Amino acid sequence: MAKGKEMMGPPSILIPCSYISTESNKTGAWRFLRPRYEEKTSPCSAACPAGEDIGRIEMLATQGLFKEAWETILWENPFPGVCGRVCYHPCERACNRGEFDEAIAIHTIERFLSDTAARNDFKPVLERLPARKEKIAIIGSGPGGLAGAYFLALLGYGCDVFESMPEPGGVLRWGIPSYRLPLSALRNDVSQIESQGVRIYTGRRITRDLLEDMYGTYDGVFVCCGHSASRSLGIPGENLKGVTNGLDFLRRVREGEIPSVEGLSVIIGGGNTAVDVARSVIRFGGKALIAYRRRRQDMPAFEDEVAMLLDEGVELRELVAPITITEESGEYVLTLGSMKVAGEDTDGRARVERDGDTTEEIRVKRVFKAIGEVAAESWFEPPEKGTDIKILNTCVMVNRPDHPAVVFGGDLTAGFKSVVNAVASGKEAAIALDIVFRKGLDSVDEGLADCMVGDGPAHSMEIHMKGERYKRSSHIVPYEEINTDYFSFTQGITQPRLLRDERLTSFEEVDLKISASVAMRESERCFNCGLCNQCDNCYIYCPDMSVVHDSSIQGRHVDYDYCKGCGICVVECPRNAMSLEEED
Amino acid sequence: MEQTMHENEYLYSGHVACSGCGAAIAMRFLLKALGEKTIIVLPACCWSIIAGPYPQSSLKVPVIHSAFEAGGAVASGVRAALDVKGDTETTVVTWAGDGGTFDIGFQALSGAVERNEDFIYVCYDNEAYMNTGIQRSSSTPYGAWTTTTPGIEWKKLRKKNIVEALVAHRIPYAATANIAFPEDLVRKAKKAKEIKGSRFLHIYSSCPTGWRIPSEMSIKIARMAVQTNIFPLYEVEDGVNYTINYKSKEYPVREYFKLQGRFKHLSDKDLEQIQEMVNEDWQRLLKKA
Repeated sequence: MAKGKEMMGPPSILIPCSYISTESNKTGAWRFLRPRYEEKTSPCSAACPAGEDIGRIEMLATQGLFKEAWETILWENPFPGVCGRVCYHPCERACNRGEFDEAIAIHTIERFLSDTAARNDFKPVLERLPARKEKIAIIGSGPGGLAGAYFLALLGYGCDVFESMPEPGGVLRWGIPSYRLPLSALRNDVSQIESQGVRIYTGRRITRDLLEDMYGTYDGVFVCCGHSASRSLGIPGENLKGVTNGLDFLRRVREGEIPSVEGLSVIIGGGNTAVDVARSVIRFGGKALIAYRRRRQDMPAFEDEVAMLLDEGVELRELVAPITITEESGEYVLTLGSMKVAGEDTDGRARVERDGDTTEEIRVKRVFKAIGEVAAESWFEPPEKGTDIKILNTCVMVNRPDHPAVVFGGDLTAGFKSVVNAVASGKEAAIALDIVFRKGLDSVDEGLADCMVGDGPAHSMEIHMKGERYKRSSHIVPYEEINTDYFSFTQGITQPRLLRDERLTSFEEVDLKISASVAMRESERCFNCGLCNQCDNCYIYCPDMSVVHDSSIQGRHVDYDYCKGCGICVVECPRNAMSLEEED
Repeated sequence: MEQTMHENEYLYSGHVACSGCGAAIAMRFLLKALGEKTIIVLPACCWSIIAGPYPQSSLKVPVIHSAFEAGGAVASGVRAALDVKGDTETTVVTWAGDGGTFDIGFQALSGAVERNEDFIYVCYDNEAYMNTGIQRSSSTPYGAWTTTTPGIEWKKLRKKNIVEALVAHRIPYAATANIAFPEDLVRKAKKAKEIKGSRFLHIYSSCPTGWRIPSEMSIKIARMAVQTNIFPLYEVEDGVNYTINYKSKEYPVREYFKLQGRFKHLSDKDLEQIQEMVNEDWQRLLKKA
């Protein structure tokens, strides 16, 4: 008879009594599959040109950790106030929840977080590297230039930004109407950028000579001055007095001018500038008509904006191209030729051509050109070829022995022009310059590839700076890898907006803010694809008590002495933050 | 409830349950709910092995191994001994498999609950004699392959409705629970602990080995049993008051059957017939609730 030592008192009757535990059986030896914690990449973060860590942002927002969530945005994008409003949010199209019920309103939450940060005057605590001796000049204070300067500042570089206009922001300040982007939202983001040590010199137009001077005083130059000249229509009458550039009109409005817009204005083009001009005209009491050579679905303008434009009473004429403009007794006659679809362009939009000789004439008070912009000066453009040129994803880098590293970015080199793409370009430029200074030119390609989010093309500062995100797998979690047993159908939020009549009479912001409780409820719908949100399912369901809580960031580890490798933890992880691999 | 799941562990690692064993998970949840003042009576079943060969034990609470047919009787005796000692705190639990409950142990169980003995009888149901080599029991469901219902001789009899048999004894509390619904399971175990007299818990416990399923699917399949209404979660108080605890997603039973090797021989027609059986049982239950 054995004596009960550990487990119970001495038995008083003659039955055998166990006295040791089973812990001497190392059942880990049975294992042929090995579970481990491995965070992966969420599809939204890979779709975001700025590579924002969206799954984590939503996780923090769900917990009410609004400052931390906002700081997580700032790791990758210094413009949450701007992008929460005017970004075309490709993240939401990639959202796995969209396949389940409805995508998360990521941009609405981003805007909420930025508004909350502004209201509470949050001061971000950001990871930054020790100061370095190199100084960088940035030409242009649009989203690309400021993002580049901001990231360079975090990487330890001194940054001077030169802006020709009296206030920073570029197209954000002068090209987007305030009903989409109120000045306060822009100023909050810009002052946050300045608080990281970025110096902005306004009213400083850079000429070619000044650029040459900079080569002597700076160790690197980032040219990011955008496209500010309107593309020409190339038709007779284009230079008449009543024909103006849409972008100039928007700038005058943002300078505070109240333009006279009585009568009918025709806007030629189908991009956001065209839409913004038309909606501004309507707000000043005028009538507006957009003439676009392709169809509505081909318009580069954001879908939502086009829908609101039509709702506000702007007329949209599809498949028409301007042929001539003539002046007649204080009015203008615009001749439009009809177009027809003739195949598809490489970008999926309709290719169009003239449809016979059919034309029509419209009598208008004025015409706005908004068919796209080009660089204002030829030397803004990067050189097209040469052995000393390195073409990056969103930038072009020029390395010549007679001057320091020069990077061209933003709209100047963008395949797709948008605010967030400009931010992405600024980030790529900053990381590329950082690699040049730290490791040399030859390491740029490898270094940029190392900090990609998923398969790219977005880059991550957090990965570049070897933060927690660096440990994640680049595998992008598809919908099939989400354990939807743990989620139930819930409706997403509808963006609250000003009513149509309220919109028509003011430049007040159209999209209204949402409350904290709505933001938390919405972010709680997020699957947090590939990220551990400490749900503890792995611990709960382990038949072998082999998931052990600890004080690491992960909060737990697998005890391989006993883990039999059943794999329940991996399957029951709702968000694929674990992996199961064959044992060696 | 939330806290209960995350603290207090009454099982030792190193037990020799098969990889992905649902019965090990079931025991873990039960003891988290009942706490250390618990004595387990263990008639022959998989857990006779999992609890450890002498001199080992995988449980941090006292265990009495008993004969296969004697779960109800031994528990009655343990309870009586505790009463003599004046111990009213300790909960006596018989932890039996479906063989020790539905078949071999049924007489002792029925006798004990008829006397309304003050104990909890838990049947962790893996739907066959798994420990001895997957022989069919009266808990094995219609359509299942086992080593004693092989090939075309798959089981063509329905599973015994054990909860209804216990309810017929008008015991104070009888409930179903499932390892894929830990909060429901823990709540029911805690509720049972607070009730005097005979309480019965029927816990669905998947068996990767006997059901021919991958071990990692253990919980997924258990959840599917509830979502298809094959194993509804409900409780019955005093033999008459029925409460259905979970509204299932009512997936077709096919979704449950196609995941398991023990059902792979079933034709579409068989599955249709099984669907009708499940619908019928569910409607019958709804009428009572």
